Amino acid sequence: MVATPEPRAQDPEPVGAALPRTEPLPAEGTWFLAKANLQLLIDQLRADGRIVLGPTVADGAIVIDEVRSVEALPVGWRDHQAPGHYRLERRTDGAAATRIFDFTVGPQSPKRWTFPPRTPLAVGRRDDGRVRHEPVAPKPPKLAFLGLRACEIAALEVQDRVFLGGPFVDPDYEARREAAFIVAVECAVAGGTCFCTSMGTGPEVTRGYDLALTELDEGFLVRAGSRAGADLLGRLPLSLPSADQLNRATEQRARVRAAIGDPVATRGLRDRLLAQWDSPRWAAVAERCLLCANCTLVCPTCFCSSVEQRSDLDGRTATMERVWDSCFTAGFAKVAGGSFRSRPRDRYRQWLTHKFATWIDQFGTFGCVGCGRCITWCPVGIDVRAELAAIAPPFEVAAEPLAVPAVGGPAEFRPARIREVRHETADTTTLLLDQLHPAFPAGRPGQFVMVNLPAFPPLPISISRFHPDAIELTIRAAGPATTALIGLPVGHEIGLRGPLGTSWPLDRALGRDVVIVTGGIGLAPLRPLVDAIAAQRDRFDAVRLYYGARTPRDLLYREDLVVWGRDAEIEVSLTVDRAGPDWTGPVGVVTNLFDRASWDGRHAVAFVCGPERMMQVTVDVLRELGLADDRIFVTLERHMECGIGLCGHCQMGRFFVCRDGPVFSIAQLGGVFGREGI
Amino acid sequence: MSTHTEPPALAGLEWFGPNLNPEARARLAAMAKVVEYPPGAEVFREGEEATQFGIVTAGRIALRVLVPERGQTTILTCEPGDIVNWSALVPPYRSTSTGVAIEPVTLLAFDGAELRNALRHDCALAAVVYPRLLRAVARRLVATRNQLLDLFARQVGEPW
Repeated sequence: MVATPEPRAQDPEPVGAALPRTEPLPAEGTWFLAKANLQLLIDQLRADGRIVLGPTVADGAIVIDEVRSVEALPVGWRDHQAPGHYRLERRTDGAAATRIFDFTVGPQSPKRWTFPPRTPLAVGRRDDGRVRHEPVAPKPPKLAFLGLRACEIAALEVQDRVFLGGPFVDPDYEARREAAFIVAVECAVAGGTCFCTSMGTGPEVTRGYDLALTELDEGFLVRAGSRAGADLLGRLPLSLPSADQLNRATEQRARVRAAIGDPVATRGLRDRLLAQWDSPRWAAVAERCLLCANCTLVCPTCFCSSVEQRSDLDGRTATMERVWDSCFTAGFAKVAGGSFRSRPRDRYRQWLTHKFATWIDQFGTFGCVGCGRCITWCPVGIDVRAELAAIAPPFEVAAEPLAVPAVGGPAEFRPARIREVRHETADTTTLLLDQLHPAFPAGRPGQFVMVNLPAFPPLPISISRFHPDAIELTIRAAGPATTALIGLPVGHEIGLRGPLGTSWPLDRALGRDVVIVTGGIGLAPLRPLVDAIAAQRDRFDAVRLYYGARTPRDLLYREDLVVWGRDAEIEVSLTVDRAGPDWTGPVGVVTNLFDRASWDGRHAVAFVCGPERMMQVTVDVLRELGLADDRIFVTLERHMECGIGLCGHCQMGRFFVCRDGPVFSIAQLGGVFGREGI
Repeated sequence: MSTHTEPPALAGLEWFGPNLNPEARARLAAMAKVVEYPPGAEVFREGEEATQFGIVTAGRIALRVLVPERGQTTILTCEPGDIVNWSALVPPYRSTSTGVAIEPVTLLAFDGAELRNALRHDCALAAVVYPRLLRAVARRLVATRNQLLDLFARQVGEPW
């Protein structure tokens, strides 16, 4: 499956929930805290001996600092963020003037306190030829974070995996994390660079908090997520929220989610990105990148560090300190002989592929939580959302809404009547089926149906032609079931399910040259595509069909081939593997028909169907003619039984061929196409 | 059967590639003859001495092999841009199939012995001709392998 993290199952325990919840919390549920009483919350946290760290306005930004009173919070302030842009606005009218958390995230994150920029690790001493290293024991302050957002809590959980989830547990991080109390606040506004929705981290706060607040104009909805949080709730003046308040909170969350949308297509992102080591975009983005490392410094999950020595003047005592480092710096990948990532493009690629791909291999989750800081605080406004879309665009075919079959369930076979039986070749027969469910004639070129004759196993068969009230299936005798099907008389019924699977993306070919390469019975799933092209011929440039068969007698649809060439301006070229003296056409493999062609593949889209080996050879030739992998489409054959991605037989890498295919682009298939044993 | 004429134009010489130097071009042009065959004409015959190497500039030549009980079977056709009878340059200089024109065919033809002699004594010319020849034979070999797989004969599993 795609390596999208499934955090619910494997995530570390939410913070504060480590204590076993053996009895109901004293303050279970959602409560209302009046705005005037927020100070009491701060006071109670301070009474517990905690330093309260919260948002406050300084230097034109909302930063995290000690907060002793509500007045220090950004009351009435709103932030405006965009790539390379951050501005604060003070609002003085109406309810907006009293809102405390109407902003998203500032440049800092709790990382600064859970993983400080500079942490003493040990003190080394050298005395009379002897050396001693004494570790510095962590002495973290008791903190309370006030106002952490869902993405920041997710970032802490990512860091938990890094520092606590491996064989080595970082003692400093562990101590700091345990000493922190978290008061989360749900975002009431969406920032211009936010994409938590895409990363699955927000905007709703669902875990990892001691207390969670949702701000309303008149106060806060508050709930506890740990015993410590529940204990604190018990010390606050609370009332039950009204239905109206609960509704407004729900609507506020929905507004934020809708405003952010889904700007990063994360499905399959890891694999797409790892297929792009050689993208020209790396060099293009490096032209803009200043290598300033801002993105890694503001990132709430970046954890790379170096150890520095701070020495006394006499050189006998040195403090070893861990300091933040960045993969964008010149020295980061340096060895004695030089740097492994000397070019800016190498460093940007390292950073982006780590965040969105290799992090998953290392830590089981994306290294990005969608907070948008790296976009806002990039001095040249490089937008990771846009770079991901440019470097590793989502698969167009996979992005199509999955075809939900009209007649889908594994038992839902609907009868269809054989109206006509047409013998195409010695072993191949076309059945014209009518009196069928209207979903079947409404299918799309490239789709297939599951066909069943009771007592025989169901078979996947491509639809080889659509009529207003009928479909055609072209079947080759290859076993008992197919032999039985093509031996049925006119008037007999068979059972159908579908139409199933993806279709040929004809829209990709509009205004372009079309190249269709096929062999043997592979013309059957392509015939509806050629029909569709012929019906709207002026929407395409040159259309060329290359078709190979075993012998002249094995050529399918001979009348259609003539009509397409004569009436639809489709250049039809035929070849056979062997022929008698009466055949005057070409003899040889199908690629011989076009491997020295003079047309420019860069303007073309190709649709290919045939035995897989033939398709591999064809794809190689098409590439040489200039076709990019994302414009070469093939249809794959696999063992299929259910046709809807549930039985598992047709799995190919991360795809179910029946559900995600059978039509794929070569780009989408990546390394699995033509690979042995997949 | 065949009509020999002096080359009015040298269609087919481009087969030798874009980097053909003027000396080599002149040398090849002096040896080349344009030969035309009507449909049905036998251009060369399997097992016989290959006297003539050719480049198809128009028409189609079927390469046939005799299969007892099946008769003459066409295994490949040579189209414009293809070479025929490369056996004229490779020992033992015997044709490996029978070439029959199935359309009016025009060949740019070279006498096998004359071209071999030229290649033996002109290293620069040989350096132009042999890589092209090897490439053409290799293309044919790879295609033949794919053909040998008889991919359309029986597809694995059920067809659809």
